[in-house]
Amino acid sequence: MLKRAALIAAKDLRLAVGGGQGPVQAVLLGLILIFLFSLSKPLGGTISAQAAGAIFWLASAFCLVLVFNDLFSIEEAEGARFGILSSPAQTHSVWIGKGAAGFCLLVVSQLVFFPAVVAFLGQSVNGPSWLFFVSLFGGDIGLCVLGALLGALSQGQTARESLLSVIVFPLLLPVLLAGITLFAAAFSGEGVDAAMDWVGLIFAFDALFAGAGLFLFPFVYGAED
Amino acid sequence: MSGEPVLTVSKAAKFFGRKLVFKNVSCEVARGEILLLAGRNGAGKSTLMKIMAGLGRPSAGTVTLGVEPEKTAYLGHATFIYPGLTATANLRFWAGMYGLDITDEDLAAVLERVGLTRAAEEKAGGFSRGMAQRLNLARVFLVNPDLVFLDEPGTGLDSRSMAMMRNEIVSFRDRGTAVVWISHHVHEDSILADTVLAIGNRKVEYYGPASGYEPEAPSC
Repeated sequence: MLKRAALIAAKDLRLAVGGGQGPVQAVLLGLILIFLFSLSKPLGGTISAQAAGAIFWLASAFCLVLVFNDLFSIEEAEGARFGILSSPAQTHSVWIGKGAAGFCLLVVSQLVFFPAVVAFLGQSVNGPSWLFFVSLFGGDIGLCVLGALLGALSQGQTARESLLSVIVFPLLLPVLLAGITLFAAAFSGEGVDAAMDWVGLIFAFDALFAGAGLFLFPFVYGAED
Repeated sequence: MSGEPVLTVSKAAKFFGRKLVFKNVSCEVARGEILLLAGRNGAGKSTLMKIMAGLGRPSAGTVTLGVEPEKTAYLGHATFIYPGLTATANLRFWAGMYGLDITDEDLAAVLERVGLTRAAEEKAGGFSRGMAQRLNLARVFLVNPDLVFLDEPGTGLDSRSMAMMRNEIVSFRDRGTAVVWISHHVHEDSILADTVLAIGNRKVEYYGPASGYEPEAPSC
């Protein structure tokens, strides 16, 4: 299963990077969001670490929607979903493959978002750097596990973009909330001990969403049109 | 045709919501047999084929495969190709999905068989409909299936590509592969088939030897 998931992820990354439009749009949207929010900063003042964390994760969430719309539309152009479903590959390999490809694209986008947060929002990592990376990893896993499940749910729908957004944002709230709180601690260096509870919470939600994805994905992806 | 059936459909029925598509459909397909599914547009042929191929569930009845799922292949009017990948990369991906270890020689041979040797490293997005469907056929050849489902594979093909497709369907039978086939051209294609199953008025209207089937005159 993992070998086939790796095949799907490699193919998706190749097509996403080769096509170029989807990832570029996702990065640009995130950058525009960060820049627009930076305009709310008073002249010569700074924005709070909490607000900066919220803006970073909001940009990541919008980016996620575009990334997974793009990844799941790959199979729709020439009906390749039926080809995958009629092959002996387990449907879970699609979920893992799409999730892995989405994770890579999201991380690359965030590599662009973070310098923008530093430049436009005046932030730097004053807390422990491990907290920053653990928060980023935990948050991204949660986003991608859910994005891969809900991307499949919205495939074939004429209102796929809006459907994905409407469903994904309420469900992502716990992960986003944890990510914002942890980033606030990582940026400001304050309340690191109190933030440890949120580290547990973010990985608990990752596990919960992963369990739900593992169970639900075959039903969602294999649903008849 | 001999031995155990590779596909058995028993009293299958399908509803979409409260709408009945067909009911009480039963048939068997043996190795080396071509079963042609006939019927008007909207009769439920593609729905029945998807159920046979495991891509849909019957509302009632059963479908039993007599071969391993790895040895079945589905070829529809959608070509299943990735336009952004080359012909070779497309085939490598599908071989991987079927768990096949293929060599460059295998790829070259299958591309030559469908007449795409020169286009091997071209992106499939630039292919004509005929070339894309030939690449799709190459995907099926890689699998070397015991049972193949063909859902109007000739849609959009020119006469040359259509003739090639018909030859390959007959060669499937000659190699002992069972074929379930939906065709737009029932008049011509029922000659190649062994058995015909015609659906109409939500039930089986004919199931028997192709030689005994009299298709309706095509409407203009």
